[in-house]
Amino acid sequence: MCGIAGRILNAPGTVGRDLVALMAAQEHRGADSTGFAVYGAPMDAGYVLRGMGFDKAQMDGDLELFRATLKDHGADLMGDPSIITDANKHYCFRMEISDPRDLAAWVKDTDELSGRIEVQSCGRSLEIVKDIGGSEEVGEKHKVHDMIGTHGLGHARLATESSVLPNASHPFWARPFSDVAIVHNGQITDYFTWRDKLQRQGYRFLTENDSELIAVWVSDQMKQGLSMEQALRKSIHSIDGVFTFMITTPDGIGFAKDRFAMKPLVVIEQAGELAAATEEQAVRTVFPDECEVINHDGPSLVGIWGVGNRSMAA
Amino acid sequence: MSEIVIEVGKRHIREINEEIQDACKSGKPIRVVDTLSRHNLGVGLPDGADITFEGSVGYYCGGLNTGSNVRIERNSGWATGEGMAKGHIEVGGRAGMSCGAAMIGGTIHVKGDAGPRCGVAMKGGNIVVEGTIGYQSGFMAHAGKIIALGGAGESCADALWEGEVWVAGPVESLGVDVNVIEPTAEEVAEVDAILEPLGLVDSSRDWRKMVSGQRLWYFEARDASAWLMI
Repeated sequence: MCGIAGRILNAPGTVGRDLVALMAAQEHRGADSTGFAVYGAPMDAGYVLRGMGFDKAQMDGDLELFRATLKDHGADLMGDPSIITDANKHYCFRMEISDPRDLAAWVKDTDELSGRIEVQSCGRSLEIVKDIGGSEEVGEKHKVHDMIGTHGLGHARLATESSVLPNASHPFWARPFSDVAIVHNGQITDYFTWRDKLQRQGYRFLTENDSELIAVWVSDQMKQGLSMEQALRKSIHSIDGVFTFMITTPDGIGFAKDRFAMKPLVVIEQAGELAAATEEQAVRTVFPDECEVINHDGPSLVGIWGVGNRSMAA
Repeated sequence: MSEIVIEVGKRHIREINEEIQDACKSGKPIRVVDTLSRHNLGVGLPDGADITFEGSVGYYCGGLNTGSNVRIERNSGWATGEGMAKGHIEVGGRAGMSCGAAMIGGTIHVKGDAGPRCGVAMKGGNIVVEGTIGYQSGFMAHAGKIIALGGAGESCADALWEGEVWVAGPVESLGVDVNVIEPTAEEVAEVDAILEPLGLVDSSRDWRKMVSGQRLWYFEARDASAWLMI
């Protein structure tokens, strides 16, 4: 069933800690894996990458290969990468890179290494952290509690349509669109139809997770000229299945809900700050006092919440 | 008579429900505080207890009620009173999806709106909603009455069996296999008898009573078009 959450603060603050709490309260909805997308202070130039290597015995060689692709595209590391390891075979990394000449072309080349090493987020401010395990476990391992930012997303996954793998966890980056991430609760029943169409346009998918598709689908619609709101509204009638998903850009969070109203979304907004989640008891972890709670439980709904009164026209 | 106060907070729900069950045996009113929208509070309450939830509750509150009088002071989450057999549940605010799902008796009174699929598959009892009922309310209701004093959302009363949906306000759209009929004076009197103890009788209401068109009850090849509506 999965649980999703979104959080917006008025100013940079402990959004990582809040997202861990929002997801810990929904861990019963899916304890296979947990993930977070946090928008921190934007870089003026360069990108912050989060990713994963699949065999830490091969880490040094794989990272060298990865760095070679950067150099091929006129970019390089802006410092030593941070590596996170534990008893698992895979390892995770965070690194800052200078601007490649053509971001999409570089992403395409790094995707050739996807069996060994995989970029899971790329942005001026977006960082996606995801791993096997519950909210506190993943939060502790990746120091999510310490991540400062204005807004972000969380996801607790009950694997149904694809395997329990760290890279099949949510959130998904809308590769290759920088700074766009998604979380999704539901099932897309025309997944293969859409995947085929998008692949023919040149998009690549590194997992068989239907949520990865939605991220790219919405971003592609926006690339073709739709506003975020128009793209979300179109998704309700174009994508088949039961779903509630939230998509983020540096400007805020948008959501869409299917025609059958099967997947809940509860929101509390107070003094310009916002928490959204699958379950009300989750949003109450950051707004514990009794207050107005908005239940978006009807069919065919879309909504957009800007950060600091910014619009979501990105 | 003094009341028994039970604190929820972050305690384990099983422990709280065991405490509620013990308190029910005392015959004293029970007040449950600091509810924090937690799920499964007061599931399986016995006959004759009187219990108030101070604040909002999560999913399944009052589910499988067998005769208690339950008050939820603010909002309730999904499936409030699911499967209840007897008793009364009052929701002071709004009720989430599937309020009264599969209930077989008793009354649920929602002072605000009720979410989608209110009374889904109910098999008896009554649900009174002072506001509106959401998308596909009354879906496959086998028996009982859903009474909405406000309006109703899309696909109202979809695929009804012998349940009835009464709406006094606007209906966004009807579901499949629904007939809207003019209620008789006797039928309106029956509904008023349900509303009277709640202080909600108003003779000026323009009722729409929705019942099954019965075309989906049994499949007949000559009437396949009815099935193709789904």
